[in-house]
Amino acid sequence: MSELEISNITKDYGATRALHPVSVNVEQGEFVTILGPSGCGKSTLLRILMGIARPSAGEIRLAGTRIDPLPPEARDIAMVFQSYALFPHMSVGKNLAFGLRMKNVPKPERARRIEHALEICNLTGLVERMPRQLSGGQQQRVALARAIVMQPRLLLFDEPLSNLDAKLRDTLRQELVDLHRRIGATSIYVTHDQAEAMAMSDRIVVMDGGKVVEIGTPLDLYRAPTRAFTAGFLGQTNLITADADGDRARLPWGQTVTLSAPAQGTVRVSVRPETITIRQGEAGAGTVTSVSFMGANALYTVGIAGTTLKVSQAGAESLIATGNRVSLDFTSPLHLLVERKLAEAV
Amino acid sequence: MQAALRDPKVQLALLLLPGVGYLLIFFGSPLVSTLIGSLRLDDGSFTLQWYERIFTRATMLRGLKTSIYYGVAPVIVSLLASVPLALLIRQSFWGRKLFNGLYKLPMAVPGIIVALMVIIMAERGGFIDRVIAPFGLSLPKLVRDEWGIGVILASVWKQIPFMTLIITGAFAGIPEDIRHAARSLGASRLSTFVFVEVPLAMPGITAAILLTFIGSMGSYAIPDIVGPPSPRPLSVLMIFEFNEGRFEQVYAMGMVLSLFAVAVLLAYYALTANIGVNRTKGDE
Repeated sequence: MSELEISNITKDYGATRALHPVSVNVEQGEFVTILGPSGCGKSTLLRILMGIARPSAGEIRLAGTRIDPLPPEARDIAMVFQSYALFPHMSVGKNLAFGLRMKNVPKPERARRIEHALEICNLTGLVERMPRQLSGGQQQRVALARAIVMQPRLLLFDEPLSNLDAKLRDTLRQELVDLHRRIGATSIYVTHDQAEAMAMSDRIVVMDGGKVVEIGTPLDLYRAPTRAFTAGFLGQTNLITADADGDRARLPWGQTVTLSAPAQGTVRVSVRPETITIRQGEAGAGTVTSVSFMGANALYTVGIAGTTLKVSQAGAESLIATGNRVSLDFTSPLHLLVERKLAEAV
Repeated sequence: MQAALRDPKVQLALLLLPGVGYLLIFFGSPLVSTLIGSLRLDDGSFTLQWYERIFTRATMLRGLKTSIYYGVAPVIVSLLASVPLALLIRQSFWGRKLFNGLYKLPMAVPGIIVALMVIIMAERGGFIDRVIAPFGLSLPKLVRDEWGIGVILASVWKQIPFMTLIITGAFAGIPEDIRHAARSLGASRLSTFVFVEVPLAMPGITAAILLTFIGSMGSYAIPDIVGPPSPRPLSVLMIFEFNEGRFEQVYAMGMVLSLFAVAVLLAYYALTANIGVNRTKGDE
């Protein structure tokens, strides 16, 4: 039995289906990210888990107990909001004490837990401050402390870092990962930032258009996505249509490559830019249309047989100038995508 | 001339003139002339006798108390009705849009009409009395009664929409996430309301209290028409003194009423300074 079992949850707004049946199981202590573009239903799912939105159908079990009919306050779940949602009329200490007071935690226990939460969220010394006297990063730490002080069975995060600037976001992301390792709370984290999802998660649930597209570990989803959407959303990729015959396939410009799995007929493959080797040569089928030097690597766009491919070259000693002929080598087998309908792909 | 315009002090004065000048001319000068007028005898010599009369004469003292009573009592009753109404309007129910438009109507009705309406409806032998008479019931004395129930009824009828409007706005200004956060931390609907929503809506609620208090304390038509013949509030006594031609006395009474309003205003500022009026915005 999984710690959290989401079975066939749907959400309709009138005639519009915001959430198609979603089923996800989360193990105890796992950190699962729900990743998708805005409007994909990820926040709706999170709000349903918290109980501030009601599902149209389906059920949710937390530690075996059905929780979807329960009000939020009876769920043993705490949530960190994108807007922090601190109580502006209460000091940091009172914000942290609020939930414990509501749950009638005895005073000495309350003090102990608050002190511990302040310490692990780097907030010691700020207990008397009002939220408006804190920076954005500090406010988000308070929001986090306010959630973990509850010692909930499940922690929910609704894009908690998206209101912070890039540098602070990186710092807090690392802090969150460390924190999760220390307290081990089962966590569900919603974000539209693929880098955040990859860096933090045990598993990622990719969502699009109110549907779960794919579920997997960051490594699996990056290296072997089964859907074009996943391949395109997690990092950069090239989607190429090829003509397959067994585990060999012909690319549009005549080059023959190996596939990750055998197939027949027209297929689509996902090729990461860093798995392509670029070589300058007059006999090459492609032409460099742009080059940008990024430091650790160089990014090329190569025009070939009417399409454009992205190629990343690591540790190059010299750059290939725009307009030069190049040939491309595909060293590892090309990753085959599973399509429900070819037309559906982006 | 050119040189004078380049002087930053002159520039500052010119820039402030439209705002401060307006206040000085249309608010400050009547106030000052009222103050001066209230401190003069006919021959122009200084006196405090007009103020002395307010705080020594029995009718005046009772008038002062009545003014405060007519200010405070309707506010309490209106508040008890407006907070639940504001919460109701937030919910979605059938006919909400219509209700939302209708409840504001009394704001557009002048006080004198409200007073006459209360007389027609609630006086003995009035509309309600005649409707319930066949059931063997009769209304208690509600108009020109000793407790000023008629005055309170009329003021409340006029105040509730205004108060509800402001309080609805105050509750609507609380970000939804904050309510949700409270619920997620184990607070029931009621606890969320008491510990989170009311404190955060307090600035709006106190503003509504303040404005309606000042309005009903200074109103004339309602207490004159539906209030008891005695005691009368200062506003009604002012008109009486005015008709008698004792303008200095009118000035002094006006100053006392204004002082009360200012005192309430200061109390409001002191109160809201301690409550977090500065909200954290959701999208910072």
